[in-house]
Amino acid sequence: MAAIAVPTSNKRRRGGHGRLQLWHVFWIIVAVLYFVVPLYSLLQFSFEGSVNHHSAGFHWFLTVFDDPQFRSSFWLSVQIALETVLVSNLLLVPTAFWIHLKLPKLRPVMDFVSILPFVVPPIVLIVGLVPFLQPFTFIYSRPEVLPLIYVVFALPFLYRSLDAGLRAIDLKTLSEASANLGSSTLGTLVRVVLPNLRQSIISGSLLTVAIGMGEFTISSLLSFNTFPVYIFNIGQSQAYEAAALSVISLLLIWGIMIGLFLLGRGGRTSIALGATR
Amino acid sequence: MAVTTAVEAAPEPVAVRIRAPKSRRSWKGSLRWLGVLPFAAYISIFLLIPTGELIVDAFKGANNNFTTSGITAVMHGQYLQSFTASIELAALSALFGGVLGFFLATAIVARGAPSWLRSTMVTFSGMAANFAGVPLAFAFTSTIGVGGVITVLVKHFGINLASSVPLSGTLGLALVYTYFQFPLMVLLVIPALDGLKQEWREAAENLGASSFQYWRRVAMPILLPSILGAMVLLFGGAFAAYATAETLSGSTGNLVTEYIANLLTGNIIVNTQISYALAFGMIVIITVLMIFYAALQRRANKWLR
Amino acid sequence: MASVELQGLHKEFGNVVALDDLDLDVAAGEFVSLLGPSGCGKTTALRCVAGFEFPDSGEVLVDGKDVLGLPANKRNMGMVFQAYSLFPNMTAQQNVEFSMKIRRRPRSERSKRALELLELVGLSRQAERYPRQLSGGQQQRVALARALALEPAVLLLDEPLSALDAKVRVQLREEVRRIQLELGITTLYVTHDQEEALSVSDRVAVLSEGRIEQIGTPAEVYTHPKTSFVASFVGTVNRAEVTVLSASGKTVRWGPAVLKLETEAFAYHDGDAVTLYLRPEDVTLGLGRNGTIPSGGLFNGRVTSITFLGPVTRVSVRTEVGPVVADLSSAEALELSIDSEVSVDVAPGALRALAS
Repeated sequence: MAAIAVPTSNKRRRGGHGRLQLWHVFWIIVAVLYFVVPLYSLLQFSFEGSVNHHSAGFHWFLTVFDDPQFRSSFWLSVQIALETVLVSNLLLVPTAFWIHLKLPKLRPVMDFVSILPFVVPPIVLIVGLVPFLQPFTFIYSRPEVLPLIYVVFALPFLYRSLDAGLRAIDLKTLSEASANLGSSTLGTLVRVVLPNLRQSIISGSLLTVAIGMGEFTISSLLSFNTFPVYIFNIGQSQAYEAAALSVISLLLIWGIMIGLFLLGRGGRTSIALGATR
Repeated sequence: MAVTTAVEAAPEPVAVRIRAPKSRRSWKGSLRWLGVLPFAAYISIFLLIPTGELIVDAFKGANNNFTTSGITAVMHGQYLQSFTASIELAALSALFGGVLGFFLATAIVARGAPSWLRSTMVTFSGMAANFAGVPLAFAFTSTIGVGGVITVLVKHFGINLASSVPLSGTLGLALVYTYFQFPLMVLLVIPALDGLKQEWREAAENLGASSFQYWRRVAMPILLPSILGAMVLLFGGAFAAYATAETLSGSTGNLVTEYIANLLTGNIIVNTQISYALAFGMIVIITVLMIFYAALQRRANKWLR
Repeated sequence: MASVELQGLHKEFGNVVALDDLDLDVAAGEFVSLLGPSGCGKTTALRCVAGFEFPDSGEVLVDGKDVLGLPANKRNMGMVFQAYSLFPNMTAQQNVEFSMKIRRRPRSERSKRALELLELVGLSRQAERYPRQLSGGQQQRVALARALALEPAVLLLDEPLSALDAKVRVQLREEVRRIQLELGITTLYVTHDQEEALSVSDRVAVLSEGRIEQIGTPAEVYTHPKTSFVASFVGTVNRAEVTVLSASGKTVRWGPAVLKLETEAFAYHDGDAVTLYLRPEDVTLGLGRNGTIPSGGLFNGRVTSITFLGPVTRVSVRTEVGPVVADLSSAEALELSIDSEVSVDVAPGALRALAS
């Protein structure tokens, strides 16, 4: 029931609902303030004046842009994010496809496995990973180790997204039809399933980018100078620069969220639970 | 089973299946499992084996003997305090976020709420829930930290916000966590609110119940498992969080996640068994939470369908 | 027990007129159905009475007192919804006790009354069951018991049977009527199912586009439809465009036949175009003997379809004046087959004429 008619005469006032509406408005205002005030303060800080109390404008932004460390750490995080997307898709798309087509009884197992990264958060996983990976110096000491680990945290989001996408298309009929037309399983995957899964892959990948760009715990503990680690280090001594960098980081996250929104899977919103906190 | 055979057969399994005589079916069946081998191997290397080893190591003494001394150690003193501090923070932020998020969600889906409100708030919730970690910490430093915008504002009223609610304290951190907790609560609880049927409200009204009585006797009992379940998730997320707290409290932090990090980076030198035991403790706590969550979820689905 | 009056109820949603100055009087203890297609305003009217919808203008009087100023929870009306209205977190008995709990009635009185009501609807053994453990029909029985718990002045039913199986529907509607008669409670019943409305009501109000087309006893509405909408919405009907032959003699010409109408008021002039309405059960078919052309009817025709409906069989006949549908007893219809040549006749007094 969507419509509540605005009463035109006092006879038709709805008993008790006026107060209720006010109650709702109250919580909306509290929430909006909670949402907006820190953002406003962050912006204010990042544009704040230097010693002479004049507004600095983009001063702090320009300062950080000039810092070669900014560029290298940002670029490193972009690289890591893209590598995470690549590896996780290469691993998960064929796996999800195969499980739906040939091993549907494995699906509950996959549902369980895709919850595990929540049970084993980054800080816990790294405790186990350090002694396990340390002997393999050729990978352990290189930043490429990060995307390999991040795939674990991308798993829940990407797999869920793919699983939902595969459930939406009638995979069995599609693949039988394509086999009937002489296509191999691989051909079916590439020519029939991938185009139908495009939205799932993109939305899962966008969240994976958010994880890859934002993950702090593991990269800082393994001493890689990723973008969040760089912001952290700057923040130890330079508050304004850190605020400017946080704004950039925020815009990045929002860009991804808007991308997800425009992709618009029926207004669904996804959250990169945990991994970046 | 020879891997080469699998490679040969793999391109046309559909055709093979159709032609395959019955006796070869089990052979084909086990072949199918090879399809998940890469994934299984990957997830074993990067998740299962390290986690498994960690759990085993938590019970291993210096001479590879079985011992519970590490576990016993983390259940006492400073380690126990770190768990308590983490749990307190997680509980407080889940409570703040849960309450604010729940009331916001009810306002969004209320009768008479315009439809743009819902789409706007859901989108914003998605954005806010993903805004966490280092940048979020700096946003709050700019707000209620020393020299923060609000701190400066309320100084005129004689309130010293930065010292009464320090961002590195439990309350301060809980306020920061609430920033991503309440939008998450909104997103988690809206489906449950949508599951409340209009007929229930109208029937209650028709039977003489006020709006409050409807919420107390009908809506809340139905929603409670969903609300608690969502808050358990909030709790778990906050319990496992590290980046935000580390940015705000630095070396003074006493959360269990910070303790583990300090042990790993060698800021504190003790035997490594302690870090395994702490990590194991976290796994135990989160597992209990997940079991609790699953039970609540089952309960919620019984009524809301 | 109370009377209910709806006076000039008007309600618009956006620019859709849901209620167009609707008037309706329901006497105390009466069972009145609001019958009409979806979107005719019947549910909106009921919701205005219940207090879930508020008319733009007009009044709702209960025992002569305006209730529009009262919120829904103060109106003391029992309502049964289409489906799924039972509180899922309460047992059947707790559902029935709900309103008494709200009124803080003592526990012993509550459970005694609830069990009585469950007995009344035949569910005393299911008192401890939760809604999800009950069938759709049982759920609606509980909903009825719940609506009756506070002895409401008026009982409102909003398509309570439409989500149920056909068999349960028939059984339950009779039960609703039995209980209504037993309690003598004033009842407004919304339905789109004409058979349901005709079978249980004291009076039926047929609604279309927010207005009452006709209100009367089921027999009146069925046999003396006042508008073409009522004639075609209530039951099946044969329609024919005819011309008035003689206004004074009340005769019309239908194809080759001249028919005399036995209506009291016949406000037409010679040569007027009017529409004839004829129920299928008022049509009789005659079969010629030994392949001869049947005689004695108004006109002849050929059977084009035969549909077995149980006790009656519906036969379509193609005639020179167009298709005519007849309902015959199934025994009679056994003699017919597709392409049988038949004569068509009409029971005297069965024809209704309305202005085209």
